[in-house]
Amino acid sequence: MWSRLAYTFRETGASLRRNVTLTVAAILTSAVSLFLVGGTFLVQRGFDNLLSKWAGGVQMIVYVNPTATPDQITNIRTVLAQNTNVVDVSKLDYLDYARSLEEAKRLFAADPGTLNLLNQTNLPTQFKVVPIVGKTDVLVQFEKSFAGLPEVKKIVLARDQIEQISKLRDFVQTVTVGLSILLLIGALILIWTTIRTAMYARRREIEVMKLVGATNWFIRIPFMLEGLIQGLVGAVMSCGFLLFFNRLWTNGVVKLKGDNGFQALVVSNSFLNFVMLMLLLFGMVAGAIASGIAASRFLDV
Amino acid sequence: MIRLENVTKIYNSEVTALRDATFDVAKGEFVFLVGPSGSGKSTLLRMMNRQEKPEKGAVWVAGRNINEMPDSKVPHLRRNIGNIFQDYKLLLNKTVHENVAFALEVIGRPKHVIRQQVPAVMDLVGLTGKQDRFPHQLSGGEQQRVSIARAFVNRPLILLADEPTGNLDPGTGEGIMRLLDRINKTGTTVVMATHDQRIVNMMRKRVIQMDRGIIVRDQARGVYE
Repeated sequence: MWSRLAYTFRETGASLRRNVTLTVAAILTSAVSLFLVGGTFLVQRGFDNLLSKWAGGVQMIVYVNPTATPDQITNIRTVLAQNTNVVDVSKLDYLDYARSLEEAKRLFAADPGTLNLLNQTNLPTQFKVVPIVGKTDVLVQFEKSFAGLPEVKKIVLARDQIEQISKLRDFVQTVTVGLSILLLIGALILIWTTIRTAMYARRREIEVMKLVGATNWFIRIPFMLEGLIQGLVGAVMSCGFLLFFNRLWTNGVVKLKGDNGFQALVVSNSFLNFVMLMLLLFGMVAGAIASGIAASRFLDV
Repeated sequence: MIRLENVTKIYNSEVTALRDATFDVAKGEFVFLVGPSGSGKSTLLRMMNRQEKPEKGAVWVAGRNINEMPDSKVPHLRRNIGNIFQDYKLLLNKTVHENVAFALEVIGRPKHVIRQQVPAVMDLVGLTGKQDRFPHQLSGGEQQRVSIARAFVNRPLILLADEPTGNLDPGTGEGIMRLLDRINKTGTTVVMATHDQRIVNMMRKRVIQMDRGIIVRDQARGVYE
């Protein structure tokens, strides 16, 4: 057992050293492509945060002053619910203080300062209004009449915010997903080529191993470990890039003044850690599998 | 030990390398496969360690039909078969000792077994004292001895030798044959392909003669002709 392990690590190390140029190229390509994959997840998450308050087809949000009494809140609900030809009453949702605070935590993830200042006296509660299908334009016409209700702080329409954000999100998503897929393919091809080159350089050795009765797995595993290491090192580098750029972005956003909506584009540390963990796992597994397949092609002796 | 039954091998659906070959090799026997280049000697050897599969017929080794053996069992079959080649197939970046130990290492033999068996086989092939040399520091005959040591270090039941004296001068070739004869006397079955007339005539072992894929002669204590 120990001699097999020692053999595997020795062969992997020797092969990595022999193939320095290709190894470095494979690692750098994996790093950049995994960084883009991670970046795509973070951007996606940011946009999801930004749009989360509009999730479920919400087209209008009626913010209610924190000072509103339960009767006044009921009154607003009644007025909204009266318009059964425009408002989908079954989806009319009221977010009380607790739920509004929950949402604020997502939206202000980057701005704990602001988040700490929020309390029951200054955080508005909200009604989320979903129009009946096809009635969005009609709902918009009701904006002014709802705004006049007692204790309504303000009304925000999805149309004004969502369209631009969605367009931007779609564009960014297409570019980052497209680029990361291309680069990932490039990285896997490079890992594949590195392993093929390593195996070609050792074809005589592999032939002898096959003839004296080494199993295919015994031959394959050092190469798979080599691919795994390349993927892992690439993934560690990509996590470094991700941490660095995320910090730059977060610091930049925090410095912006006022409630400009950009705060929502910042992701929480737990999500960042989750993405980095996924990148590390993906890097290792993809590297090992790509090299395992490359190695198998050489073993038909 | 080895049995071929009506074995036919056709390459690329047109070149018939072997046609209907049938013979037995008993345990401990020494057999020469003779015939001109392209007569099918190497193909026969490659059949015996499952480097090739026949289109028709069966190859039995140690009581098992190796053509029906699953791929996963082939490594275990090969651990019982040593191979020697005309070009030695030594690993040039490894020392003599490492070349021989490699054969045990890659089948997972523990270190203490390697430490014990490698010097013993080096002694058998007459290379004691040269274990730290690299192949390019050895003569052709010595390199072939390393190759034999590697093939025999795991004490296989069968030794397959493909033109082992083909690159050697007559004197050195005779030395190699004496070594193979000694190994054969330990009970190892030896099948050797050659067209070295002098050696076949000197050894007077069983001779199977091939011509264009067909066995044309199978003679005990035969000569080359």
